[in-house]
Amino acid sequence: MTSFNDTRHLWALGACLAAVGLVGMVVRREMVPDDFGTKGPYRASALDDIAAQPSLFQADATCHACHASVEHERAGKSHETVSCAHCHGLAVDHVAMARRGAEDPTVTLPPAAEWDGDFLTKADLYISKDRATCLSCHEAVVGMPADFKKIDVALHLEEQGASEPLSRETCFECHGGHDTAP
Amino acid sequence: MSLFELPILPTLGAAAAGGCASGGCASGGCGTGGCGTPSAERTSENSRREFLKTATTLTLGAMSLTLLPGVTAGDDMLPLPPPGGEGHVPAAKPMYGFLIDTTKCIGAGKCLTACRVENSVPDGQSRTWVERYVHYKDGRVEVDLVPETGYAGSGEVQPAAEDVLQAYFVPKLCNQCVDAPCNQVCPVHASIKSPEGIELVDTERCIGCGYCVQACPYGIRFMNHDTGVADKCNWCYHRVMRNEQPACVEACPTGARVFGRIDDPDSEISKRLATVPTNVLKQHLGTLPLTRYVGLTDEVT
Repeated sequence: MTSFNDTRHLWALGACLAAVGLVGMVVRREMVPDDFGTKGPYRASALDDIAAQPSLFQADATCHACHASVEHERAGKSHETVSCAHCHGLAVDHVAMARRGAEDPTVTLPPAAEWDGDFLTKADLYISKDRATCLSCHEAVVGMPADFKKIDVALHLEEQGASEPLSRETCFECHGGHDTAP
Repeated sequence: MSLFELPILPTLGAAAAGGCASGGCASGGCGTGGCGTPSAERTSENSRREFLKTATTLTLGAMSLTLLPGVTAGDDMLPLPPPGGEGHVPAAKPMYGFLIDTTKCIGAGKCLTACRVENSVPDGQSRTWVERYVHYKDGRVEVDLVPETGYAGSGEVQPAAEDVLQAYFVPKLCNQCVDAPCNQVCPVHASIKSPEGIELVDTERCIGCGYCVQACPYGIRFMNHDTGVADKCNWCYHRVMRNEQPACVEACPTGARVFGRIDDPDSEISKRLATVPTNVLKQHLGTLPLTRYVGLTDEVT
């Protein structure tokens, strides 16, 4: 009966495995975030990171806080549900300055700019009386619900006898923006 | 005795000693050299068995290191039972719901602009979109996408109204599935089902492998060109956490998008859902979407 004598091979193998295990433990401890798994199988602080993203698109209530007359003007009218931002821009700077101005009277708000034709305007406040703004919703398109006020522009302008049918602001000859009744 | 019957260890040992260096073992001349004697064979059998025993013990011992506290997964990381299976418990109890009323959408694209600006989505990509389904009188059904600033001024040729049987718009956004396939495939746990039931992307952990993009049956997820990681509609989680409405809901002029608490019976969406029959997209997949639709036809998938 003979036995296997070269135990040093086994010791070497064991040492290698132990080293690999140790390295694995260290790497894993480094790679897994501290708060991983505290709320679920994910990095818990990611929820706060995502929730910290700023809100850019202003709710109408933000505008009405100062412009109460407009809220009153639109109440019960068809444009009550149209977001201020669609015709006036996101006005991020405008709102930020207005909030500062509420505490510091030296802050004055710049006047609204002309619409630059870009619906994505982020910072500027503008007043658009451009027909393109109106038509972005109201130009008749196949698929619109039957009860939506859609128009065939050329026909509508002719029927209503618009004095300057090619003018950008032709819609405002008859309609207002906030209260659209002709 | 052929080469294949020879015990390995003595052969190696003999080869190392140079006695069989020229491949002599196979010729049989080596047999008398002690390469394949019965006693040597038995010894090698025993030592191999012992070697395997010891090696197995050591390996199992090393593997048991992972059972040490601090290295193991917590109770909350235990794998869930298969989706929809018996005993399956959703990771989060849904708090919010989304209702799309296709009969109210006018295809103005205001929601698209609002979403892009709110979430800094790169041009050419979108977290939400609006499809238009046009059923012609000859039976054809065509689908196209509403341009971001509406059809007006886009220069797109419109179908002739007299050829059209019916047409309607269908806004698409994340369905926030209760059993979300996109969540299940993420290899690095960057897909998050928030405690409120909203599916999020941890952009710090995401490695951009794109598995989730392929897993989503609704095509909602995409690889953000700017960040290089997965991106998706998250119902404007940051706004919702501040008790604000998602940007697309805020932007919709006709109320085609309704968002709110479904755990509050007095919320608008709860009342609407309680009174109007609604559908979900691809119900047969069993993903249990939280986005529900009014006026969904079979053509919409």
